[in-house]
Amino acid sequence: MDMVKAAKELLLQDKVDIFLGYRKLDGHQIPHGFTKAHVDDLDQLEISLNRYPLEKIACDLAQKDPALKIGILARDCSQRALNLLYTWDQLNPENIETLTVNCCPSPLSTHGDCSYLTPKPTGDYKKAHGVDYNDSPKDFLANHDSGERLSRWMYEFQKCIKCYGCRNVCPVCFCKECSLEHPNLVEPGVLPAEVPIFHLIRATHMAGRCIDCGLCEDACPAHIPLRMLYREVNDAVSDIFGYVPGDHIEKSPFSIIGKTVELTPAPMDV
Amino acid sequence: MDCEFVPSVCSYCGTGCGVLFEVIDGRINRTLPLKSHPVNQGKLCIKGWNLHEYINSYMRLKGPLVRENGRLEKATWDEAVNQAARRFTRIKEEHGPDSIGVLVSAKITNEENYLAQKFTRAVIGTNNVDHCARL
Amino acid sequence: MTNSIAEFEHDSKAIFVIGSNTTACHPLIASRIIQAKENGAKLIVADPRNIQLARLADLSVNHRLGSDVALLNGMMHVIIQNQWHHPDYIADRCEDFDAFKAVIDMYTPDRVSDITGVAPKDIIRMAELYSQNAPAALLYAMGITQHTTGVDNVKSCCNLAMLCGNVGVKGGGINPLRGQNNVQGACDMGGLPNVFTGYQPVSDPGANKKFSDAWGVELSSTPGLTITDMIEAIDQKKIKAMYIIGENPKLSDPDWNHLNHALKKLEFLLVQDIFLSETAQSADVIFASAALGERDGTFTNTERRCMRARKAQDPVGNTLPDWQIISRLSSAMGYAMDYDSAETIFDEITGLTEKSYGGMTYERLGINGLQWPCPNPDHPGTPYLHKETFARGKGKFHAIEYKDPAELACGEYPFLLTTGRMFAHFHTGTMTRVSRHLDVEQKTGYVEIHPDDAMTIKIKSNDPVLLTSRRGQMEVSARITTDVMPGNLFLPIHFGENPTNILTSSNAFDPLAKIPEFKVGAVRIERLIQ
Repeated sequence: MDMVKAAKELLLQDKVDIFLGYRKLDGHQIPHGFTKAHVDDLDQLEISLNRYPLEKIACDLAQKDPALKIGILARDCSQRALNLLYTWDQLNPENIETLTVNCCPSPLSTHGDCSYLTPKPTGDYKKAHGVDYNDSPKDFLANHDSGERLSRWMYEFQKCIKCYGCRNVCPVCFCKECSLEHPNLVEPGVLPAEVPIFHLIRATHMAGRCIDCGLCEDACPAHIPLRMLYREVNDAVSDIFGYVPGDHIEKSPFSIIGKTVELTPAPMDV
Repeated sequence: MDCEFVPSVCSYCGTGCGVLFEVIDGRINRTLPLKSHPVNQGKLCIKGWNLHEYINSYMRLKGPLVRENGRLEKATWDEAVNQAARRFTRIKEEHGPDSIGVLVSAKITNEENYLAQKFTRAVIGTNNVDHCARL
Repeated sequence: MTNSIAEFEHDSKAIFVIGSNTTACHPLIASRIIQAKENGAKLIVADPRNIQLARLADLSVNHRLGSDVALLNGMMHVIIQNQWHHPDYIADRCEDFDAFKAVIDMYTPDRVSDITGVAPKDIIRMAELYSQNAPAALLYAMGITQHTTGVDNVKSCCNLAMLCGNVGVKGGGINPLRGQNNVQGACDMGGLPNVFTGYQPVSDPGANKKFSDAWGVELSSTPGLTITDMIEAIDQKKIKAMYIIGENPKLSDPDWNHLNHALKKLEFLLVQDIFLSETAQSADVIFASAALGERDGTFTNTERRCMRARKAQDPVGNTLPDWQIISRLSSAMGYAMDYDSAETIFDEITGLTEKSYGGMTYERLGINGLQWPCPNPDHPGTPYLHKETFARGKGKFHAIEYKDPAELACGEYPFLLTTGRMFAHFHTGTMTRVSRHLDVEQKTGYVEIHPDDAMTIKIKSNDPVLLTSRRGQMEVSARITTDVMPGNLFLPIHFGENPTNILTSSNAFDPLAKIPEFKVGAVRIERLIQ
């Protein structure tokens, strides 16, 4: 397999110190950091059907050692995540090497567990009262009036068991302090997570951020169609600013962190 | 730098969700749900996602302690084990095996529960062994 | 659980949840229930509190605390009246139906409504939803068991499931959700006063001889004391020494004052834990254990699935795996235990526990684990029990009359207090309160009170209140919420500074199971002037 050879070369030629891919253990594909010391382990390298946030793991490693050179087996969504992490100075592109696996949306046979490739079935009750996983934001907007849209999203949000899995698994969520845990923004200690503010805060923070990998939706125990929700806010960003997160390594229209900006008071356009 | 992922089972409720510990240079750094696990299918609750935090808490006991003059003092394993063995043996000799009770745990492994009840029955010589399932 | 977690999602046509706040306490089982509901299964929720799952239910009722037997009897009355039960299943597989039916005949919806506070039409609808959507799974947790009538409650759940032919079928069953990761395993491993591993009775001569031979010691055939009886025996100075492993009874046991008093009478207390728990603070010797992820071993979850938890890092500081500690203590007392790994111990277990664990090895367990019974190396494990016949032969119907809880609201103690868990913390909080992301959610204890009651006693949110029961008093801040019914209060059990069990009773427990009535107690609530 070419991928194995390429990964071995990266390690043996010291282009990377560690290569993040997958291996099989007791029948399960799990992530693994391959190193030069055990380079032959790469013979067991797998392009996993299960996707894990390898980019987040890369950030964990870079945090421990900023000079570490990391190789990553990268699907298209990983590539978008990496671009975004470069944009936001979470990873240094000079320290990252990728071996790309393109699958989004491609005819490659070893697809990941992405809902674009194998759409998630939406149950009848959910179709009638909630939000269809596979609906497009534009159709959803066109087919339901605002009251209907609100009630459908409220149905979805009231199921939330506040695991924070959507945030925890997100490859582009890296803030040290999270608004979702701020007691003045979201009431702590209650179930469901305060409706609807918890999910609306997360959704606004995903605008210009979300690279549409869908890992959040996969991790959601309450089966909330989060991918669709964040696409809704991201569509707004691309419509207004022409910015698609992760598309290029360019500054996002929201990247004002670390800069002093002056805001002039102006009437709200409602 | 080494980075590996070790499968385990969440130690909070009885659901038994499969987790992966992200281990960087020998220390657990993060908990991820095991995506292909038959119980939780790559999802976790708030406790499961933060499973590593109690394991790595600075509040953990770091070694055995023995009470001396009313205060708990650091001890070696030999000191602690021998003191416990001596006290149990004496109480058993003076008051019989049924004067000792053991509470095993719904938190320790099957192997450890097995050994604890074996210890109670074969070494102490009583069936006074129970755990907090009722509580 | 008689059945498996995955079946709720894929096979159950109705799911009946009673006495379980599933989204908070067993969230990943709730995840399956939500999925089942969205795919079209019917969901029935009965709980004295307005739990999150109730919002998704086709029908949810708030029955009075401790009125479970009446509610279940009422449902069964309706089912029999409408002939929604399964006469063939009952005739083939069950016994003692007539005596049972005679009692059920007395529980008309009107009478049950008086006891439970649930409207007759809702009782009828619950009965219809449960019996007309087969297979139906019944799930319960401590809301059913922690009562003076805990065993009656469980038997009533079994009656209902058998009445509709729901035991021994995929997607059905009676499914108690275990509260701790290895309650099932601790029981399976003989961590009980009357049985060895696999529930082989200590008083059974065959089993006793088998274990005596295997362990090379003559073993006692007299069942020992339960935890509830042990505390009494400590108080009476019959028990002089205790060895407590990974438990914090000082916080988890009923009637804190009583237990605290009793523990002081011990000549020797040995505690083995990963934290300096409230109980460990009273110990004479503390053994510091390795935690999850620091040693190998297996856990058995609520669906009887034995799974491996592997070592991921070295034990912190100078701690040791519990199995090594027990081995050292045993050897120091003259009984040599020299196991070289957890796996060797596991192999000894499977050799002595043939019927349930006999076919398991570490290699076979892999990551997915195996569900017992798994009696031989080729057996695939058992997703659901009682398929052809019941383990005991015939499924026995129990004729059960409703009994009031030990304490009812009265003039002096006009509120009913119930206790339980909240979603971000676990049991006595030793493992969760040290976790930053969990502490953020809830830093200290609180009592939930209905807005109407809050108005009556003139308190606002977060005001301090004084709770008084017949046992003791405690101060705690109020959380005003419609999650509890008027007249009821809810107190989470996780917070040592607000020890719930100062208020609860150690005298009120189920006569058979010895489980304390944590779910109902009479209290008074007063505003504390600031």
